[in-house]
Amino acid sequence: MIISSDDIIIKTIARIFVPFIQLFALYVIMHGHYSPGGGFQGGVILGASLVLLLITHGYEEMRRRVPEGAVILLGSLGLLIYSGIGLTCLLLGGNYLDYSQLSVILHVDPAHARAMGILGIELGVAFAVMAAVCSIFFDISTGGILPEDEK
Amino acid sequence: MNEFFVVVGLGLCLLVFLVLYRVIFGPGVFNRIAAVSAIGTKSLIILLIFGYIYNRVEMFIDISMVYALLNFIGCIAAAKYLEMER
Repeated sequence: MIISSDDIIIKTIARIFVPFIQLFALYVIMHGHYSPGGGFQGGVILGASLVLLLITHGYEEMRRRVPEGAVILLGSLGLLIYSGIGLTCLLLGGNYLDYSQLSVILHVDPAHARAMGILGIELGVAFAVMAAVCSIFFDISTGGILPEDEK
Repeated sequence: MNEFFVVVGLGLCLLVFLVLYRVIFGPGVFNRIAAVSAIGTKSLIILLIFGYIYNRVEMFIDISMVYALLNFIGCIAAAKYLEMER
């Protein structure tokens, strides 16, 4: 299991860096249609920021800030957003993930509804990917046995 | 100006292979980590040069930032692994 680092330089740099990494990840997610990036890439950067927090501040601190249950909940929420938007389009009479049908709900013209729909899909993908990266790293670093399981 | 960037990029590619020798045969783990980090920095600059050649710097600067970030996290992770080994 990963314990906290003793080195003050690494801990301080990581603590200062993590919010900026997450801000950049949000930029990559939101700006996905104009520049390289999108939901998956932004989610991986978000996950990388949490991995940095875990390897510098140790498992105990990480579990206090980002509990394992919250990570799994967030991943399921991402899947729910994705499939929810897709099924809403299906229920409104279009194909699965046919965002132009959302214009009925959002009260905008179909082109705007497409832009908003793809943004929602990318947010869902980003949540799911972040949770998956974080959960995989949790499991690898603890050998699959969490301390609360042993009790 | 494009020729200048192409020449600089090719020179950096050559330097990557020189550092790759240190990654494969380098004595000790610390040499290898430092060499991998140097390769990451060089590939970042090569990406930016690609951006200048194709006149799309604003696209490639995002990719290079992510590359630098993952390089940094990888370096910290390798150092952490060595610390746990001890």
